[in-house]
Amino acid sequence: MARRRAAEAARGTVRVAIDVGGTFTDVCVLDDATGEIRTAKVPSSVTDPLTSVIEGLKALDLDLSTVQRVTHGTTITTNALVMRDFPPAALVTTRGFRDVIEIRDGTQEDVWDPYREVAPPYIRRRHRFEVDERIDYSGRVLRPLDHAQARRVAEEVRAHGARAVAVCLINSYANGQHEAELREVLLQADPDLHVSLSSEVLPEINEYERFSTTVANALLGSLVTRYIGRLADHLARQGYTGDLLLMHSGGGSMTAALAQEFPLRLAASSIAGGAMAARHIALQCGYQDAVALDMGGTSSDITLVQDGQVRVSKHWWVEYGHPISFPGVELATVGAGGGTIAWIDESGALRSGPRSAGAHPGPASYRRGGSEPTNTDANLVLGRLSTSLAGGTVNLDADAARQAVATRIAEPLGLTAEHAAHAMIEIADSAVASAARLLRQARRSLSPQAPLIVFGGAGPMHGVAIARELGIPTVIVPPSPGTTSALGCLLVDIRHDFSVMYQGNASDIDPVTLEERFLGLEQEARERLRFEGVPDAAIALERQVSMRYRGQWRSLDIPMGRGKGALTAAVALFQETYRAQYSYRGEHTPVELYQLGLTAIGRLPQVPFPAQTPVSSRPVPSGQRMAVLGGAGAPVAVSVYQRLRLKAGHTLDGPAIIEQPDATTVVPSGHRASVDEWGNLRITERTAS
Amino acid sequence: MTSTTSRTARRGDRRRTRTIDPVTFEILRNSFSNAVELMAQQFRLTCHSFVIYAKDFSCSLADAEGNPVAQGDQDIAVHIGTHHLVCRSVIDAFAGDIHPGDVFVTNDPYSGGTHFNDVRVLRPIFVEGELIAWAMANGHWSDVGGLVPGSFDVKAREHFGEGLRIPPIRVWSAGELHDDIAAFIVGNTRAPQDNLSDLHAQAEATRVCEREVLRLVGRYGRDVVTAAFGAVIDHASSLLRARVAALPDGTWTAVDYLDGNPALGEGLVPVQVTLTIDGDRLRYDLNGSGPAVSTFMNSTYGATLSGLLAGTKHFFPDVPVNAGLYRAIEVDLGPEGTVVNAAWPTAVSGFVSGVFEKVVNALFELWSQIIPARAMSCSFNLEYLLIGGRDMRSPEQPIFMWYDWMVGGWGGRNGRDGATAASPLFGAGFASQPVEGQERLNPIITSHHRIVPDSGGPGRFRGGCGVEKGGQLSDSAATVMSYCCDRERSVPWGLEGGLPSSPQGLRLNPEAADERYLGAIFSNEEVIAGDRFSRASAGGGGYGDPLDRSADAVLDDVIDGYVTPARAAKDYGVVVMQVQELPPLWEVDDAATEQLRGRIRLERHGWLDMDAFAIARRYRDGDLDALDCLRQYGVVLDWGTGELLPRTTQQMRDLLRRRAAQHWRRSAEEAS
Repeated sequence: MARRRAAEAARGTVRVAIDVGGTFTDVCVLDDATGEIRTAKVPSSVTDPLTSVIEGLKALDLDLSTVQRVTHGTTITTNALVMRDFPPAALVTTRGFRDVIEIRDGTQEDVWDPYREVAPPYIRRRHRFEVDERIDYSGRVLRPLDHAQARRVAEEVRAHGARAVAVCLINSYANGQHEAELREVLLQADPDLHVSLSSEVLPEINEYERFSTTVANALLGSLVTRYIGRLADHLARQGYTGDLLLMHSGGGSMTAALAQEFPLRLAASSIAGGAMAARHIALQCGYQDAVALDMGGTSSDITLVQDGQVRVSKHWWVEYGHPISFPGVELATVGAGGGTIAWIDESGALRSGPRSAGAHPGPASYRRGGSEPTNTDANLVLGRLSTSLAGGTVNLDADAARQAVATRIAEPLGLTAEHAAHAMIEIADSAVASAARLLRQARRSLSPQAPLIVFGGAGPMHGVAIARELGIPTVIVPPSPGTTSALGCLLVDIRHDFSVMYQGNASDIDPVTLEERFLGLEQEARERLRFEGVPDAAIALERQVSMRYRGQWRSLDIPMGRGKGALTAAVALFQETYRAQYSYRGEHTPVELYQLGLTAIGRLPQVPFPAQTPVSSRPVPSGQRMAVLGGAGAPVAVSVYQRLRLKAGHTLDGPAIIEQPDATTVVPSGHRASVDEWGNLRITERTAS
Repeated sequence: MTSTTSRTARRGDRRRTRTIDPVTFEILRNSFSNAVELMAQQFRLTCHSFVIYAKDFSCSLADAEGNPVAQGDQDIAVHIGTHHLVCRSVIDAFAGDIHPGDVFVTNDPYSGGTHFNDVRVLRPIFVEGELIAWAMANGHWSDVGGLVPGSFDVKAREHFGEGLRIPPIRVWSAGELHDDIAAFIVGNTRAPQDNLSDLHAQAEATRVCEREVLRLVGRYGRDVVTAAFGAVIDHASSLLRARVAALPDGTWTAVDYLDGNPALGEGLVPVQVTLTIDGDRLRYDLNGSGPAVSTFMNSTYGATLSGLLAGTKHFFPDVPVNAGLYRAIEVDLGPEGTVVNAAWPTAVSGFVSGVFEKVVNALFELWSQIIPARAMSCSFNLEYLLIGGRDMRSPEQPIFMWYDWMVGGWGGRNGRDGATAASPLFGAGFASQPVEGQERLNPIITSHHRIVPDSGGPGRFRGGCGVEKGGQLSDSAATVMSYCCDRERSVPWGLEGGLPSSPQGLRLNPEAADERYLGAIFSNEEVIAGDRFSRASAGGGGYGDPLDRSADAVLDDVIDGYVTPARAAKDYGVVVMQVQELPPLWEVDDAATEQLRGRIRLERHGWLDMDAFAIARRYRDGDLDALDCLRQYGVVLDWGTGELLPRTTQQMRDLLRRRAAQHWRRSAEEAS
């Protein structure tokens, strides 16, 4: 296999990021030499994401032979999981355990509605096969693998026509030997089979999460392999000679070769792109901590940056009941977006969401058949939103918006249309703030100075109000709020996360064996990065140890250094972090180690964003309109500015509206927006002066 | 220092009610829920008891009088009707003596609580010296002392010796922990360190709620916040009333049963609920329920109220739980001393497996008639197995406690099969534990954890399947086993013609010479290394006549192994054959199916009148199995000895006639 050096700038100076989202495909191109960024937005194809990629690239008229690197964020795996677009597949497991993925942990997502059950397993019971074998918790073989049975199962798998097989044995995290033997047997019977072993995919304790992750990973293999093959072919035909990198859920990228082995790691690719962009913007603006809000048409996604890193979690899912235990950006999603519908319940109370008008029929003002009032309609009634959007390509009907708000909300409540519209927005903002508060609470040590970074089509319109609700002092709006996920793809390093179980009281740990386990992980990490073509000098390895007070069930991941005293320091850091997080600590409870972790980073050349020199001129409004921006009240005349004409150093005071093709920013009175040297808007409360 | 009694706060509250605009109302309503969610999140992230971690806990924010304003939307179902009672018990105990920085603790089932393991921590919230609210974090400690590890003594008649009873007690004063009181509490348990940590975790969690309430007071003002408390409660109440008013008036009665009262011999023990809808009024009457039983399966009023609210909530899932929901429902529990209204000092620690889930299932039957679109048959019963002893795998030979509960089948629904392998009605968010984690912590090796074929009650819409878990003791010593589950005899029932599911119970050393059937309820049974055990959870009852189930659905069930070919014929009258081995191909024999279904239609009414003693004999001879006895003949036996239980059988046959047979048609023409 030909290896290329992903980290080398052997070709041109141009980087390209392509983010194929559910509705739109964004392309972001950066020339390292000039620091210039160009973006394009095209509708995503419903049938073939590759068409969207091709259209997006075409829109920017790029010579791919001058491109040094292409990074790609994609929703293909997410869509495949939602639509269950899977090849025929099978599960092979220890006798007595074929129902692990159906028994799960029994929990229901909606604990009160028995008519809303958890979605069935990805692999039907008839395609789940058992073999005699058993390994105990320590990795000792209690019963050897029955090879005759294994061969029979391999025949059954072949007869079923399976293209993918997940091999998931009990306690294989402690000893993967039987799984490896099963792979041999399965491949002998059918060499073209795509086989995933749970001991390789996720060598971690607890069968439900490990089996579930392995099954989903196995099911996505052929889809991702096929897609990446077609994409790579297309890029090559266009003259591209570099590596294709894929954005994964953990906030890094990986090469196409590894994406084919761990396709499930792409499952939150697009969200990770936005989170990584937020991290970049936070650091650029001098913040180590930040809250990021991506508010779109149907929902809002909130993520956190802490200590300069995007927070990740290993407890998430695309569909409840099908946990994905690969690191994924820690996320709160709330059904509050531009299309979210407001309604009055039976007791006469005003409610917002979770129903959304989406893109079809869309808000009432779209005049596509929607008659229920949405947040977009409310913003239009309040004058925040212009009737002409996206550079004049989308026209909204203000009368239709007013009609919907007036008849459905204002009249039943005895309010004016403006007052009702304002109420709708306030309730939606409050819901977003609540979700952010919950996420922030779990990371209470987040700095109180952490800014709110807002993007997505609706984020900049709601950002200041939500920040106020959360007591956040600064709102940052990046230059292109609508293509932020693609920007994130441009910026990421190659990154992999490794882990191994390691249980015992911190006071009893033998430092020599601990070091050996870490060295083992580091060896594996280096091999993987070298396989991806990362030169040794660009490799960075970060150790973590997950700890908890003995008897607890949730652990904290604590960074750990090297050498003598590293463990003692990590334990002290755990105590300190625990107290910062939860306000108390277990003074007399022993600290227990649970897992060792290693983050392996293949550093890619940093993006040399050039700072613009601030100008001393004052920005000039392009016009005025009547709008309600802050608290409820009568509309007042508000200055309207064009974002593309704003320059570094410009400062403007609210009430003001800043328009650009992909977003509208609201600056209420009492607030000041200034343009920083990177083109970000920074909005703060104006101090009395 | 200023302090305020609940009485002045109550007067203040009334004055302020309903003076709030709809926007502030909705924002504060969401904010109160958010405050409770924040508290719940902190609690779960810091708890030590694995039972709490599995989500056996609840949190609430209440007004100054102790009326809950918001309760956690993931709260364990079994707690939902107790928060106001517990909060009021603290207010009554400390009236005039409640101060900022105080934290109170109680676990008393005789003053509104559930059972001793559920330890509640309450923090009064003050603004400028006025008590305006309460925050409560309530969680199941894995042990609170008593005779049996885990504090589940199934043989207890009275609570003395079950575990530590904590009437309302002040554990923090002015922010300072009374170490002596805390030490006294945790010193009476088997896990003092874990429990002390949980006490701290709970107190801190309530502080998170306090912080949020004070933030809201700072933002909106005290009067607006307290007015919103009242408005939010009224909102829930008026939502439920509006729904009820849209339903027809009438009175309905349903009975579910506990397995029995050992002191009175065999015979099912009724939990009877009569529901009356009159305009927008909803009334439950539990008169007619049996006297308290001689096991710990009874319930006091708080836990029974939880059952009524939980059952109601399943039919109105979007109505929020708070004092408004309590207010919209009238309840008559009947006289003290019954199984649903046990009096001090009757033992009640097993109330979930006992009364609670029976109340909820009785409500399913009631509401299934009124709102058929949400109908559901009976679900499996919470069951839990405790094995405790010495772990000989390490030289220190520490004490281990393998405390395990299983998922099971829920009832068939109107238009859909029941959920397979779901958490119990006790709490649909209550998580079972991973086998691999258990094997690391305990010297027990799990031999299998699988779905049980044929466990789902047959019906046009099949009940969900139960699961079976078996294990073997490895390096262990001084080990005892206790089990609590019920539904060994009062097997989950079907509706609208649907059939019962399968009995629960435990076997020691199954299929070996020394096999012993230990049943559904026993404690401190000695076991030794090498012993094997296995137990199954029940499936859910079927919904609709199984002969009306499509043959294709039955075929699918057979291919997936949810139903065996033998029972496809017996229960559904569908004849299924395997026509190819590899890949396996199955087919329905249409002609044979039509013939078989016709015969069953003609004969099955008579099966319920056949001589029960003869059926028992055929079971003992091996001609019939337990499912044959239950589903075809309505006969209940001691599943160990095969001895007939005449009174239980008569009760089972009566309920089968009512819930199943009266809905069966006698011919295919009539059926179509």
